[in-house]
Amino acid sequence: MTDVAVAPTETVPVQGSGPKRALKSFTSLLRQRPSAAVGLGILLFFIVLSVIAPWIAPHSTQNPSGPVYAGPSAKHWFGTDDGGVDVLSLVLVGGRVSLIVGAAATAVAMGVGGVIGVLSGYFGGWIDMLLMRITDYFLVVPDLVLMIVVATLWGPSLSHVILVIGLLLWTSTARIVRAEVKSVRERVYVRRARTIGAGHTTTIFRHVLPQVAPLLIANTVLSVAIAIFDETSLDFLGLGDPNGTSWGIILEHANERTAVSYGAWWTVVPPGICIAAVIVGCYLLGQALEDALNPRLRISHFAFRSWRLRPLVGLGKDAT
Amino acid sequence: MNWTEYVIKRVAFTIVTIFVAISLNFLLFRVLPGTAVTNLARIPDASIQLKRHLRAEFGLNQSLGRQYWDYLKQLAHGNLGNSFANQQPVSKNLRLALENTIPVVTIATILSLIVGIATGVYSAWRRGSIGDQISTNAAIVLYALPTQWIALVLLIAFSKYLPTAGASNPFAVTPPPFWQHLDDIAAHMVLPALTLVLTLYGGNTLIVRSALLETLGEDYMLTARAKGIGRGRMMWSHALRNAMLPIVTLVTLSLGSIVAGAILMEVVFSWPGIGSALYQAVVQRDYPMLQGGFLLFTVSVVLFNLLADLLYFKLDPRISQ
Amino acid sequence: MSAPTGGDHLLEVEGLEVFFDLPNGELHAVQGVDLALDAGERLAIVGESGSGKTTTILALMGLLPPSASLRGTVRLGGRDLLSRGERGTDEWRWRDIATVFQGAMNALNPVRTVGWQICEPMRVHDTDTGTAARERTRELLSLVGLPAAIEHSYPHQLSGGMRQRAAIAMALACEPKVLLADEPTTALDVVVQASILDLLRRLSDELDLALILVTHDLAAAASTCGRLAVMYAGRIVESGPVSSIAERQEHPYTRQLFTAIPDLYDRRSVRAIPGAPPRLDHEVLGCAFAPRCDVRFGRCDHERPVLLRVGASWEAACHLAGPGAPAAAGLPGSADDAAARAEVPVQPVSSGDPALELDGIAVRFPRRRSLGKLLRGRPREIVRAVDGVSLGLVPGEMVALVGESGSGKTTTAHAIVGNVSTSAGTVVVSGHELSRMDRKARRRLRHSVQLVYQDPYESLDPRMRVRAILDEPLRVNRIGSGRKERQRLAAEALSKVGMDPPELFLGRFPHELSGGQRQRVAIAAALVMNPAILVADEPVSMLDVSVRAEVLEVLDTLRRTQSVSIVMITHDLSTAAHYADRIAVMYLGRIVEQGRAADVVAAPRHPYTRALVDAVPVVRGGDRRPTVISGEIPDAAAIPPGCRFAPRCPLAVPECRDVDPPLLPVAEGHSAACVLLQVAGTVAT
Repeated sequence: MTDVAVAPTETVPVQGSGPKRALKSFTSLLRQRPSAAVGLGILLFFIVLSVIAPWIAPHSTQNPSGPVYAGPSAKHWFGTDDGGVDVLSLVLVGGRVSLIVGAAATAVAMGVGGVIGVLSGYFGGWIDMLLMRITDYFLVVPDLVLMIVVATLWGPSLSHVILVIGLLLWTSTARIVRAEVKSVRERVYVRRARTIGAGHTTTIFRHVLPQVAPLLIANTVLSVAIAIFDETSLDFLGLGDPNGTSWGIILEHANERTAVSYGAWWTVVPPGICIAAVIVGCYLLGQALEDALNPRLRISHFAFRSWRLRPLVGLGKDAT
Repeated sequence: MNWTEYVIKRVAFTIVTIFVAISLNFLLFRVLPGTAVTNLARIPDASIQLKRHLRAEFGLNQSLGRQYWDYLKQLAHGNLGNSFANQQPVSKNLRLALENTIPVVTIATILSLIVGIATGVYSAWRRGSIGDQISTNAAIVLYALPTQWIALVLLIAFSKYLPTAGASNPFAVTPPPFWQHLDDIAAHMVLPALTLVLTLYGGNTLIVRSALLETLGEDYMLTARAKGIGRGRMMWSHALRNAMLPIVTLVTLSLGSIVAGAILMEVVFSWPGIGSALYQAVVQRDYPMLQGGFLLFTVSVVLFNLLADLLYFKLDPRISQ
Repeated sequence: MSAPTGGDHLLEVEGLEVFFDLPNGELHAVQGVDLALDAGERLAIVGESGSGKTTTILALMGLLPPSASLRGTVRLGGRDLLSRGERGTDEWRWRDIATVFQGAMNALNPVRTVGWQICEPMRVHDTDTGTAARERTRELLSLVGLPAAIEHSYPHQLSGGMRQRAAIAMALACEPKVLLADEPTTALDVVVQASILDLLRRLSDELDLALILVTHDLAAAASTCGRLAVMYAGRIVESGPVSSIAERQEHPYTRQLFTAIPDLYDRRSVRAIPGAPPRLDHEVLGCAFAPRCDVRFGRCDHERPVLLRVGASWEAACHLAGPGAPAAAGLPGSADDAAARAEVPVQPVSSGDPALELDGIAVRFPRRRSLGKLLRGRPREIVRAVDGVSLGLVPGEMVALVGESGSGKTTTAHAIVGNVSTSAGTVVVSGHELSRMDRKARRRLRHSVQLVYQDPYESLDPRMRVRAILDEPLRVNRIGSGRKERQRLAAEALSKVGMDPPELFLGRFPHELSGGQRQRVAIAAALVMNPAILVADEPVSMLDVSVRAEVLEVLDTLRRTQSVSIVMITHDLSTAAHYADRIAVMYLGRIVEQGRAADVVAAPRHPYTRALVDAVPVVRGGDRRPTVISGEIPDAAAIPPGCRFAPRCPLAVPECRDVDPPLLPVAEGHSAACVLLQVAGTVAT
């Protein structure tokens, strides 16, 4: 028993259950941790921007609308690229692809990884061993190299990119889900449920999944960041969709078409900042979610500021 | 379990992994759609005879099992085939490339570790302060910025002052004296190394910071504080020493980032290392080089993982029993 | 503080207050504590969760987190300790005052050797260096009863008791004048606990060391220390000599606390304290204990009582205490109370067909071989967790299965319920032998045996309301004709455990219930299946002391009114003695003694039982010295030949290694398994 300053026998009641309660805890999380709010804000901003991109893009993304490698101006906020195409429009439209690829690849990874993780963690045995061996291998092989090889052999296309990224992402999700499922399975109330006769399906859906779901969501958000990062890298190496445009492809073109010699920083800076912003947003939100789900209220014993001494008011035993 | 047992287990795992890598290498290149044979169509003007000849040369007319066996035999002799692009043995190309990659990656990794640990420790020590926030947010941002972007931006910014491509001056007619040569290489190395350090240190900072914060909340830290040994000692002898364990684990997992960063950096700076070699192989569809590169990368990382595992064992007394 | 009057004391604490700055307000955790301690004196601070006792200790050492602020003074030998900031505090920490925390896993650094950790403060405070430090380390280890070789061990290689001794050795490294021990024996087995408390007593006497022992265990406090301070809601409500307080308690909380704890020899009824301690995030008007007090009257609700002298070095903060207090006529004072607390009648041994019969139960499982052993062809080790247990229970009977960790009692519990399969022996439930039945019939019979788990905070799914938790076993097993019927059964079960009206609780989540309530819900969830047998695995060990009786009462009522048979697993002999009809003592997988509860406790026949009984701290125990049992309980895969207790038994003779004694009757309904019984017919005391 720990001597906690708040009596454990009194608790704070929380109303509602299920989705309503989840929403309430989420909003309180946003209030308590500004980083989560910032992250969410950034993501929403870019999502909205991407959705309305075709309507707000000032110029065409295919046809030149200005001089080659012109610097930022009133007409072209981000200048033009080597073909005279407006960079701002490219960035806006490219954002759609980047976000879609990120989301799709993550969906693949979550789906496959989640299911395998749950089965492996819950049932153990040889399924688990097999999974562990496979994911051990994937963990050790350098991601980008494997993706490069597969993408090269398969041929560059949008769907290939999504699948290749998903192929590598599912392993870390599976491991995380497996670890959590294993730990939840050992919790007393789950064992109790099994003892009183609940079947596997019931146990998984009623007891295990509700505990695992929040962590899965946090992991999903973080995975989107990784997926976008990977997509950018693949694009840069020429393995992205040859006909499309995305932030990563804008960077690739900048490199390929000697933007450096022209000093055309405006073709490089905006897409990179957008990529970084989205990744930072995902990271902040995902980390905050993960931290919130690990409620180990540790008071750090390493106090870098000492406790404060208040002056003693009045004398005697019961100074109030 | 004791040391010997642990070593045996880990080495066995490494060998199996390498074997799987080799086999996967084989399978990918023979089995995936768009492999050598079907892509021979991409070689312009490939006549039927040429195709047949190439088929025979690569042994692609034999059974899969036979091909596999031949492949293994070749590998045992260190023969990775010949590059399509320059007709040189793949192993020779890779060796030359490796000689260029190792110095810059090693320096950058060590620097990024030092900077990462220093900033991570600082952030954990001064948790919640302005310094911590700046340091942590800077780390997050740098971690999120793509390597190629950092490289390009640095290039554009410093193109006037520092060489922008290659590892050394390509226009020297006669080999220059040693110190001048070294100076030249160093000048070329600045931006690439800086790019890598900036890319990598952020992740390290975050890892170190979170591992330390976790450790600082443990009960034995309260005991350490109660002993009156002072904050510096607490941090060094107790917190960091315990945090080394998760740090080693996590840094090991970031080996993939080092590889990815190296590849992207070399592409931007045209640094003639294995990253560039891999990229060239992709562009030119130079399958032997691609295969060789994949193998080299994988085996290197697997070996480093083994080293890290052994190090971990030494650090944690709880598993050495 | 006025307690030992006059003069300066070694340690003086005046007006100590601690505030915590939390996101939802300020917490007044310690509300004005005064203490005084002299060299060689032992003070126990007793309280439950939320009383502020640990916070007080942390405050004394300046170990509070940055969200805390402090008021008051702490003086050691006249020197003000807390006004110098962190660095100033570092100078005297460990040198003048040292601490021993709750052992558990992590109070010692896991990656440093014990020797290194003991030497460290010596080096830092410059008391000893180099070889002198190593010398002293060895001295300290021997002082606490540890072999010198421990200096090269890591904490995870030591047992709980050894770790605690190492922590004590470490605390003494710089020869402090005061030792603060915060719950040093929680989570340790009772025999080990007794030896640690004995060690602390001895050290305090030999080294003239002042000791403050913080604990929730009143009996441990009373048997170890000379003075007692009882804390409630951040204040000391009573403090004085143990001898005085043990006789008569001046503060109702103290009195009710004594009443709430079963004593090994005291047969009087036990009563839980209703309600819960107050939250400390807002100021309480009047006496903090008033809502739970059985003698409150008008003044208590709006006037806070102050500590008043009630005897020699004795104070209590109650309007009814001390001179000038209103007459306590008719109110339960200790004098009337003794008469009011009736003796618990000894339940006559009921007859009838046994509800449960275990015959020679064994649970054995192989242990995984390490690679080295595998290669060398060593056979698998077999862990004999339960090695031949026979037990019978009639309806309405409660049997306590008592033992320490490693005794196999928990495994036996799980074998009875069917969670673990037995390697040998038979389990007969209500006359039906389980192994002879087919799966379906066995499943149905299993419902007749239900398990209540130890941890009320973990055994209920935090996402399910009470209604759903009670509904689940019914729904899954298709009991009850429909939802309405199931709801009715659920409400009925809640009533049976005393949670009336049931509607009040059905809609709540576990975190909205107190610990005692949660455990009662767990019992209700077991009851809802209408079992004949209830197995309770340490049902109260994780609850606050004042609340335990609440749950134990429920179990007691169940067996008296519903004829449910109960197997209670516990390590606490006092609880067993008080509530159970019979006690069976387990050691290393076997029952070594069993009989009527009163008999086993009053006249134990087996040396192990004797040691357990002696080790239980008793409030009025005086100067009992526990029997020393050397060593640790052996590995269940390597059970010693002959009598399994022989290697540690103080009375062992050579024959004990040759013969494995069976349970032999020594009196009516009382049997024990000891070689000496066969030889002499009785065990020399």
